[in-house]
Amino acid sequence: MQTKKKGPILSIHNLNVWYGDNQILDSLSFEVQPRQITALIGPANCGKSTLVRCFNRLNDFTPNFRFNGEILFNGKDMYKKKTDVTAIRKKIGMVFRKPEPFRCSIYENVAYGARIAGINQASQLDAVVQKSLQRSGLWDEVEPILHGNPEQLSIGQQQRLCIARALTVEPEILIFDEPCGELDPIETVKIENLMRDLRNDFTLIFVTNKRRQAARVSDSAGFLYCGELIEFGSTEKIFTNPQDTRTEQYVTGRLG
Amino acid sequence: MAIFSMTRPELRKKIALQGIAFIIVGAAFIFLWNTLKKTQAANIQTPSSSRISGTLPSLLSDLNLILPISLLAVLFGVAFAFYLEEWLPTTSKVRSFIESQVAFFVEIPSLLYGLLAITVLFSYADVSKEIGTPPIQNINEAGLAAIPLQHNIAMFYAETLVFIFMVIPVAIKTTQEALRSVATPIRESAYVLGANHWQVLANRVVPLALPRILAGGCRAISRSLAVAALLIGVHIPGTRGIPDRFMLFLGGALLLSTISSFLIEIYVPATARHG
Ligand SMILES: Nc1ncnc2c1ncn2[C@@H]1O[C@H](COP(=O)(O)OP(=O)(O)OP(=O)(O)O)[C@@H](O)[C@H]1O
Ligand SMILES: [Mg+2]
Repeated sequence: MQTKKKGPILSIHNLNVWYGDNQILDSLSFEVQPRQITALIGPANCGKSTLVRCFNRLNDFTPNFRFNGEILFNGKDMYKKKTDVTAIRKKIGMVFRKPEPFRCSIYENVAYGARIAGINQASQLDAVVQKSLQRSGLWDEVEPILHGNPEQLSIGQQQRLCIARALTVEPEILIFDEPCGELDPIETVKIENLMRDLRNDFTLIFVTNKRRQAARVSDSAGFLYCGELIEFGSTEKIFTNPQDTRTEQYVTGRLG
Repeated sequence: MAIFSMTRPELRKKIALQGIAFIIVGAAFIFLWNTLKKTQAANIQTPSSSRISGTLPSLLSDLNLILPISLLAVLFGVAFAFYLEEWLPTTSKVRSFIESQVAFFVEIPSLLYGLLAITVLFSYADVSKEIGTPPIQNINEAGLAAIPLQHNIAMFYAETLVFIFMVIPVAIKTTQEALRSVATPIRESAYVLGANHWQVLANRVVPLALPRILAGGCRAISRSLAVAALLIGVHIPGTRGIPDRFMLFLGGALLLSTISSFLIEIYVPATARHG
């Protein structure tokens, strides 16, 4: 048997997803290795968000969501009955395309994650907030306005604030669903560098429809097209020597 | 328009559901009409109108009963709305049934509910006997007229009935809308941190929805005050029943509003009505 450290952190076997009668994902199987950046690329509406929302069971809230197949997190089926869903979500964090700071101070935004995780002592909270903001590269920018309104931050700073918030829970996996979709190139570079740093401590799943970005930052990549996983492998292979003609067309910009 | 985008079974279901509310109101209307006719015939008269001391004691004693009951009804409505919106899935049959009934009852003007209350008053307790009692003689320390017990019970029935159909639906509907006004990404941002349903509600949803919930509560209570205005008319000594022509007018209004809210419910899409 594989040990927890060596084996994949997430294994997806034969995953099918429907919204009502619409099949969105069609028998996907792949594995996510720990301490790597796994990119999922594909054109709009191919089901990337649907797929990653299965990983933290966020789709549970979508009416008409149906699914079959198996998703193993550290070897355990996370859709098994009696699974503690909130525990799963603490271990698998997520950052969305549009940053959504809560309507409270910058400090409280970051502290909320820690409070959810059960940290309540003021001194501990201060430490966690500072550490998370430092990790997300925001500390120097927000230290003087820590108790101010997050709406005064640029959209890129807000996105890093959301990343800091996700880090306070100390997840094992962090899902980024098009984190740079709303950002300008300079902010985008900052997020990309941040992801490279975070790879040392976390497993990252990175959804993007910018192929060059995926090529720049990821270790493995999967190409999703019309709900099918056309190809999955190391980033180098996907971008330089793809096996499927559709992958080749997509990465060279002739498809999608 | 909603009706054009609905499939046939959907439309049939909608008409059937609305039909239930329609029948309830229709029955109430017939009941009301008959009772009021009878009370007219019973010739309500005040024996001693000289001892009348004004509307204030009567008003206060009514509010004394109406406000606490309204508050309770609003609390119940708000709590029930939380249950519907947060715990029942959108596909739930119970939820769609209650929502369609609620949508119907909030369209009916409060004046007509007031009449319903009067009817119950007249039929379940012989209020006509009480009418002669000048409230001023029974004023207690709080300065409020103490209503005779039997009268109180009748009021209680009337109020409860009216609130089930009037205050609670408004509280349910406005609370549901308030909860829905909190955008999904806000909830999801908390869920992805591992917050549970209660934490998401208490920390993220309720603070944002509270102003709207309170405004809805006020709307519901102000509706019950409108009914109070009508009930006071019954309590003021010297009221000699209600004139026939007035009754005809109100009866017509009830019928019209029932039919129109029925039509609105069926023909106008929900988004157009509340957007
Ligand atoms: N809640 C839902 N109910 C029904 N259909 C949905 C729902 N959410 C998404 N879909 C459909 O599922 C398909 C895949 O959507 P998804 O958001 O996963 O795509 P995506 O690859 O993330 O696209 P994008 O690049 O635009 O974010 C789309 O056709 C979309 O219309
Ligand atoms: Mg998406």
